Parts: sequence; C-alpha cells; structure tokens
Amino acid sequence: MWKRLHALIRGGDLDRGLNSEVRFHIEMETEKNMTLGMSPDDARLKALRSFGPMEKHKEETRDARGISWLETLIADLRYGARALLKHPGYALLAVLTLGLGIGANTAIFSVINGVLLKPLPYEHGDRLVVLQQSAPLSGRRNAGVAIAEYFDYRARADVFDGLVEYHQMNFDLINRGEPDRVNTGVVSANFFDLLGIKPIIGRTFVASDDVQGAEAVLVLSHTYWRTKFGSDPNIIGQIFEMNDRPHRVIGVLPNVPHYPQENDVYMPVLACPFRAAAEGNIARNRRAFAALSVFGRLKPGVSSEQAASAVGAICHTFTRDKNFAAVYRPEQSGFQATTVEVRDALTSGARDMLLILLGITGMILLIACANVANLTLARMLGRDRELAMRAALGAGRSRLVRQLLTESTLLAVAGGVIGIMFASITVGMLTRFVGRFTSRTGEIEIDVVVLAFTLGVSIVTGVLFGTLPALGSRVDLVDALKQGGSQAGNSGGRRKMQGALIVAQVAVSVVLLVGAGLLLASFYRLQKVETGYRTQGVLAAQVYGNFSKYPDAKSLRALYLPMIERLQSQAGVVSVAVTNAVPLGGGAPGTVRFDIEGRVTDDPERRPTTDTNVASPRYFETLGIPLLSGRVFTELDSDESQRVIVINKSMARYWDGGDPVGSKISTDRGEHWFTVIGVVGDVRQYGLANDIIAQLYIPLTQTPQGFAGQVLVRTAGDPLSFSNLLRTTVHALDANLPVEEIHTLDDLRSEALAAPRLTATLLVVFAGLALLVTLAGIGGVIATSVTQRTKEFGLRMALGASRDSVLTMVIRQGLFLVLIGLVLGVAGALAAGRVLNAYLYQTAPRDPVIFAGVAALFILSGIIACLIPARRATTVDPLIALRAE
Amino acid sequence: MATRPLDLLQGTLDLLILKTLALGAQHGWGISQRIQQISDNVLRVNQGSLYPALQRLETAGWIDSEWGASENNRQAKFYTLTRKGLKQLREETTEWERMAGAVAKILAVES
Repeated sequence: MWKRLHALIRGGDLDRGLNSEVRFHIEMETEKNMTLGMSPDDARLKALRSFGPMEKHKEETRDARGISWLETLIADLRYGARALLKHPGYALLAVLTLGLGIGANTAIFSVINGVLLKPLPYEHGDRLVVLQQSAPLSGRRNAGVAIAEYFDYRARADVFDGLVEYHQMNFDLINRGEPDRVNTGVVSANFFDLLGIKPIIGRTFVASDDVQGAEAVLVLSHTYWRTKFGSDPNIIGQIFEMNDRPHRVIGVLPNVPHYPQENDVYMPVLACPFRAAAEGNIARNRRAFAALSVFGRLKPGVSSEQAASAVGAICHTFTRDKNFAAVYRPEQSGFQATTVEVRDALTSGARDMLLILLGITGMILLIACANVANLTLARMLGRDRELAMRAALGAGRSRLVRQLLTESTLLAVAGGVIGIMFASITVGMLTRFVGRFTSRTGEIEIDVVVLAFTLGVSIVTGVLFGTLPALGSRVDLVDALKQGGSQAGNSGGRRKMQGALIVAQVAVSVVLLVGAGLLLASFYRLQKVETGYRTQGVLAAQVYGNFSKYPDAKSLRALYLPMIERLQSQAGVVSVAVTNAVPLGGGAPGTVRFDIEGRVTDDPERRPTTDTNVASPRYFETLGIPLLSGRVFTELDSDESQRVIVINKSMARYWDGGDPVGSKISTDRGEHWFTVIGVVGDVRQYGLANDIIAQLYIPLTQTPQGFAGQVLVRTAGDPLSFSNLLRTTVHALDANLPVEEIHTLDDLRSEALAAPRLTATLLVVFAGLALLVTLAGIGGVIATSVTQRTKEFGLRMALGASRDSVLTMVIRQGLFLVLIGLVLGVAGALAAGRVLNAYLYQTAPRDPVIFAGVAALFILSGIIACLIPARRATTVDPLIALRAE
Repeated sequence: MATRPLDLLQGTLDLLILKTLALGAQHGWGISQRIQQISDNVLRVNQGSLYPALQRLETAGWIDSEWGASENNRQAKFYTLTRKGLKQLREETTEWERMAGAVAKILAVES
C-alpha cells in the first residue's frame, strides 16, 4: 500500500527510473549482440526489436503500478472542479447558500464548545463542587452557608481534598487618589490552590496570609490588572489603601472565568472587616454571616453523589442538634445540604438556550441543503446527455454516483470555508448574547475542534444534498441519447424529488416562523408591562459610603441627608431621593416575615413575608409611585420619632380588605413595632416578568444599619447631562466617594428587556432568512416546471384556454406544495412549541393567532413567489411553443 | 488465491520471474537472459513485456526492488524475492504440479 502511495506522489521519479532501467536493458542487449559479432548499429537495432514496442511496455508498466482509490478520488476531484468552473453561477450560488447554513452552525457550535463542552480551565475543574444549603419548605432555595456551619463541614467531611469559603464584598480601593469601587472576592488562603489556578505573576495566598495580624495582601484579577493598570508587570509589591488599611499586591490571576462571580480583586478571609467581626459572634449566633459560598475538591475516587450524601448527612446532624433546634427547625423548614458540580452550576443557565439555537441553525442548514439540491436537480436536466455518454463509454453507475457526490462535497467544503469566515464575524455578537446566561464566555473561540466540526458538517452536507438528486434521477441510456435539451431524462422522478424538497423547506420554515412569531409576541407583551413608576427623566447612581469611614447608621445619615439637600438645590433638579435598591436595577428580594398586631398566627413559618426597602421622603415622588392611602414619609419622621413604614398594595392585601393605615406590624416577633402610615402602588422591582411581591419601605432616617447607597435624581432636562454635576456635588461632601453605575431608569428598563429582545431578533432574522430561501426555491422550481411545460401551455392556449386559467394552473401547482408543507410545519410547530416555554411571557406556545398569521403569510408570499414565473408562462406565444422542440 | 482472469501467458511469465529470483537477486536484463535460457519461445520477441510483469509483481508485494551497481558498474534496478513471493512461488509450483499430474492421468487412461 505504501508503494502505491509512493507511486502516486513520486510518479515522476518512477518514470525516470523506468526510463533508465529500459536504457540499461537495451545497452546490455546491444553489447551482447556485439559480442556475437554484429556491428554496433545492427546490434542496437536488433536489441530494440527484441525489446518490442517500447512505449506500450512503458505504459503497461505505469498502469501496473496500481490504480488506487486515492487516484480515482483525485481524478474525480479534478473532473468535478472543472465541471463546476464551467458553471460559475451555479457554483457560486450553491457555495454561498451552503456557506450561510454551515457558517451559522459553526458559530453556534463554537459557543457550545466554549461554554458547555470544554473542560473547566481550572486544573482540577472536573472534581470541583459547590456546597449548597437550602430550606425548600420555607421557600429558600439558597440559604447560604454560615461561618460556623462551614467550620463544621470542614472539620467533619472526609470526602474532600479541601473545603474553602468565598463571599463577595464591595470595597473602595484608593488608586492614585481616586476611589475605585471594586468587587472583592474574600477567600480562604487555599482557595486558588484548590481550584488549581496558578498566578501569572507573583503568588496567591498562603496560610500565613490569613492569620490575625498578618499584613493585608491582595491578588488582582486579570481583567482588572489589564484595564486599570495596563498590564504593568511592576504591579507586584505596590500598596493600595482599602478599608483604611494598606494592602500589598502579591499576585495577578490568569485570564480564566471567575466562579461564582467576577471579581476585581481577592483578599484573604480575615482581611474582610465584616467577616472578622462576625466570626467573633458565632458562639452566640449559629447562623452569623450566612453569606458564604463553600467549594470543595473531591478526593480522587469519590463520586459527586457520595460527596452530596456525605454533606447531607453532616447537615442532618447539626440541624437536629438540640442546641440549634430554634435556629433550624428542620421539620418545618426542610433545611438540607447537597453538592453540585461547579461545571454544571456555571453553565446550566445557557444550556437550554444554546441547544435551541443549535436546533435552529440545523434547520437552517437543512433548508440550505434542500435549496442547493433543487439547484443541482435543475442543473442536471442539462447533463443527461453527458452522463449517458459516460455510461455508454463504460463508467459504472456507482462511478457516476461517486462523481456526483465528489462534486457536491467539493461545493460543500468550499461552502464550509465561507462558513468559517461568516462564523468568525458573528461569533463576537453571539458571545455577548450568551454572556447574559452564563459567565463562562472567555473560552469561546474558533479552534481546531470547531474547524474539525465544520469539516465534518461540510462533508455530511455534501453527501446529503448530493445523494438526493442522484436518487431522484435514473439515467436511461437510450432515451437520453435520443432526446435532447430540456426534455431529457426521467423528469417525473426529478419533479417528485424537487416537490418533496420544497415541501420540506416550507415545513421547516413554518416551524421557524412560528417560533419567531411567538417570541415577538412575547417580547411585545413584555415591553408593554407597566412598571408602576415613571421611568422618564430619572438618573440613578450608586454612591456607597466607605465602611470604615461610615461605620454606622448615624454617620451614613450625616452623609446622605446633606447630599440630598445639596442635590435638591441644583438647577434643573425636580426631586432627589436615596434608596437601597433601584427598581429593575437587579438584586434579589430581602424578605422577612412579619406579624400584624392583633392577629395570631399559630405556625411561625406560615407568617406572611415581605421585601424590605429603604426610602428617603421624596422617593415616591421622584419615581412617580402613586400614593393610594395615608401619607408618605416627611422630614418629621426622624430617628427619634415613632417607627413608621409605608407598604405597597400587594402587602396591603394581607389585611383582607381592611385598611392597613394605622395598624402595626413587627418583624421580630413583637420586640419592635412599626406603624403603617401609608399604602403606595406596586412597582416591578425585580423584573418585568416577575410577579409583584409585597414590599415595605422604611424611612432612611430610621434604618438600623443605614443601608442605602442608590441616589435617584429626577431632572427637568436630560438626566444624563446631570451626571457630572452629580459627581461634583457628591465629591464636594467627600472627595473619596465613588459615584458609579450611572444609568437612567429608562436605560435600566431597556436593559431588562435586552435578553428577550435579542432572542426575538435572532429568531426573526433566522426565520426571515429561511422564508426568503424557501420562496426563492419555490420560484426556481416553478420556473423550471414552466419551462418544461411550454409546449403544453402553448397547446392549451391554442385550444382556447385563457391566459388567466394557465396562470391559475401554475399557481395552483405551487400552492399545492406550500399547503402540504404548511400542514407538516404546523404539526411540527405544535409538537415542538413547548421548547420555548421558558422564554415566553404570557404567550401560549400554541397561540392560534400566531399560527394563523404564519399560515397566511406563507400562502400569500407563496402566491407571489409563484406569480413571477407563472406570468412568464402566460406570455408564451402558442404558435412558437407548438413549433419549438 | 488466484483471482485474476485466466491468462496463461501472464501466469507462466510471473512464475518464471519468481523462480529466477529464487536463485538470487537480479536486474531486469539479467532476468530476461535467464528466462530465455529456460524457455525460448516465451520471450524471444517481446523482452519488454518483462517490465510490466515486474511492476505487477512488485505492486503485489512478491518482489522488492532496489537500485544498485551492475557487474560493469552501471546503475541498475535489482529485484529480490520477498517472503510473500517465496510463499506464492511454492503455492503455484504445487498447483502446477497437481495440474500436470491430473493431465498426465487423463492422458494415461486407455481410450
């Protein structure tokens, strides 16, 4: 076999060798003849004659080198390439169509590869798990892990190589005098070792960094190092002020995705003042600081199920510990623990969306294939004589089929190359899109795996759309050679195949259009959702007080109250407010249970819940939230006066129709009581599609911890133009306060619609593309059919048929195909609709209006697509048609 | 074993080449001389048909070839029998002898 390969590649060398071999033979024979007494000339002549016909022998020798499948393949490829170049229009159209279809799949696959398929970039990624606690019976899906619980797990679980803690804080890092609010990951000293992340410069934490009195150290994330310090290699050893302490940079992380959240810097556990303070409390408060995330690395040989049950068992033990009975109440709360693989936790948000997208691009590719197959079929009408000739000259049927397949694969691979170019353009946009569903987007790229996938898909595509026309045609030798031109060949079989392809295209397009229609309808309904407040003309900004400079409620009040006054006095400002959470600004509800005075609840776990918020007096006015009864806060509600709250309409329902104004509630089982002074309208706090929940508002002056941090300014003019004035006003009070996340409320609302908007847009684009390609396909097939039936139309019109009736006939033919495809497509869409459930807002996947709309659209556009070639049919002059052959 | 369509001339030529090479490595012309010695009528007219046969045997893996120096120091391509070739030679020899024996038996029957 190697010799054959050798013969293939070094054919030239072998020919030269053969020539010298033959030359040697002739010389030796000549010499022999000369020793027998002949003259040199005669000797040579006799030698040549004895040898026989030289070229024939040489040719036979060359042939005997063996025609391998490889040589046949190369011959086929060269022939195919020549044939395609003779029809550049067809080739170009086919390559472009396939390129789009293959390219779309390549783009999606590169995202799937980077998010779902690749192993985590952490050295021990496949053995990492996150420990999750929950209290499902109380409605708490994530109960966090408290410090004491973490210590318990760490001490008692023997299924892990190590268990580390993590929580996130926002601190101010003073960088060249400017305060920078940084997301800070507070982690155990062996956190990076456990994950298997090695720093690219410097070092990560060691045990001695995380003890009392150790020097405060920092590890920077790659992004933060790149954007804020320009990837300066001398960053190691530099000192920055954080929380009124100098922190030294000791290392920089590589560019890997962060789990569970993106952070700018990392510090050891004891460097976080809150964590350190809470640790002192764990003897008195079992669940102090239940904000930890806990990660572990499974010991070799331990399965994640074993880890989950080990952790669950430990949790079971301490929740049933008599000392903690009041804390956990396991029977009522269902408090439990389990482990989840980090890889799943990181990517599961995107998995469904990506698989849907893959399905969609697969359908697009099928449509593209069907189109090119139809193109090929149409082209084959003119090739029958050529094929019949080749068959007559000895090419076996399998050889001919192989030839056709080679051509189609050649087209498909060329399409694949175009597809890769197309994919590399769109992959950036897709990455941003999928970034809304997962944070693992840093590894999406077009690499070897993606290229191999593209090659595979191209070859399968080529074989697929090459086989269809080959199936649909039988080369009848005698007929093909006798007839000529457009009537050659088994047109009946071909027409059936073309029709079947059109039906398939229509069906797939219908499914895509229905999907697009559903998503569009859902998006439309979503963006009409009333927010409950006025979004126009309001600027929101994040202004957090540094925890060491403003350690308590009093100091924070001393910060925010003057700030409100100063901002209020600025020109162009209508009203100012301070709150802890901007509606649609993200975040999650902070729910507490409460009791209404005078109402007895038997089961403390069944008490009503509400979300707590902080609001300065003019909050409701600034946001335009309507007051329904009672009053809102005023300056008179101070930290010394009666404790008051304002509730929203949803919370007022707990009063069963009674007037809540004037009654009292308590969130701590009667230790403190708050008087309800007013009821305001509901707002969409956490999402346009989320249910509205009960909310209460505490005055800024009465919050125990003074948590606020969001400043809202309603301006007369354009809110964004006020940003600079906002900054200077705030900095006049405290130059070190960072003013960040400046958005208008309109922007926030738009942002909340971003993911559904993008999804709907994507699908509309895909479905539109599919529709156009299908319509073009229909037009093409009808046009071919019209050309074939010219004689028939001429005959009909000569016999008295009107032009209109011919027109109707042609359109009916096309419409028939569309209708069959429509029925199949509708069936498919009904079956597959459930897939989109998670993405639909108040839209049923079987919404009849959408289905009817798509059907009407298709029938209408199908008629138009048939009309153009049909009109050509009516312009046939009967006499010319009858005469033509 | 033999899936080629029946070609007696080709078959005998192949056999003769294999037999010749069993006696030692030889170049193309040398093989033709030896075969002529053994069987006059096979190759007298067409010495050149040796070369396609040699290529065929080499493609089949029964002989190997290597460039070397001839007796008079000229570049020549030398052929050797491979293990597969030796096996083929033995099998075909047995086959021939069997056929020859059968024919002899037929001819020996009293008519």
